[in-house]
Amino acid sequence: MKRIIIADDSATARMFIKRCLDIIGLSEAEYVEAEHGKEALAAAKEKLPDLLLTDLNMPVMDGETLLKWVKASPKLCDLPVIVITSAGNPAKEAQLLKLGARQVLNKPVSPPVMMQALADFLDD
Amino acid sequence: MIEHKPLYQAMQQAVSQTLENMAFMEVMEHFDPDYEIPAEQLAWTSLLISDPVQGEVRLAMTKTLLEKLTAAIFALEPEEISQAQMDDILHELLNTIAGLFMTNLLADNQTFQLGLPEAGEGELPELEESAVVWKLMTADEDPLQLFAVGVPLVALNKPAE
Repeated sequence: MKRIIIADDSATARMFIKRCLDIIGLSEAEYVEAEHGKEALAAAKEKLPDLLLTDLNMPVMDGETLLKWVKASPKLCDLPVIVITSAGNPAKEAQLLKLGARQVLNKPVSPPVMMQALADFLDD
Repeated sequence: MIEHKPLYQAMQQAVSQTLENMAFMEVMEHFDPDYEIPAEQLAWTSLLISDPVQGEVRLAMTKTLLEKLTAAIFALEPEEISQAQMDDILHELLNTIAGLFMTNLLADNQTFQLGLPEAGEGELPELEESAVVWKLMTADEDPLQLFAVGVPLVALNKPAE
């Protein structure tokens, strides 16, 4: 069973992402929800998930800082991170990919876009 | 100089894309350009833009529309909806709309920075003369309004040179 962390300060956004994942065949996955980057980082260290989906703009610790912490951690550096943001554009996307994000998706995210982004992950 | 596309169209597209995608709702211009949401029916939120220009975007709608959106998005019956869910939906809608608005507005190589949405209380603040207002409604004629406030943001309304 896949273990997935969803980090977003909005319960609506977390529910929306989870619904997309359910639709594309991940309804059996174990989900851990976090309201900010710090909570997501602590959960990632404890749970060692298969995938981390994170918003960019969050209180306490934002998604970019979370990404940097994950990629700097020997325990978590191979964890695929997908950033789902309302503040994305090609320039920001390039910056996040350089930091180690696997994909950057713009809100509102749809099941087909999520499916395409997770094609490799779903095949594993 | 900031390269940008037309302001009005950028917002219109952002709202349409957000509501269609999140709630399967179609939006169009309100038939009455003078329409104002009655104060007792008002739900609103605002968000600051800090880069590359400073400004504020506000989203206002009727409580009835907010309840409909919350029921549609969370797949709940109206009596099951909580105030926290409605507040969260309002914030997430504005967050998504503002992000798409700036993405639509600015050139591809231009990054931007959004603040976190904050709930509005009471009546909407009085608008500066320079503010731009979008008066929209859903197919069920439920009104919603968007406001771009702040001289540097509104200055992007002028055509790019």
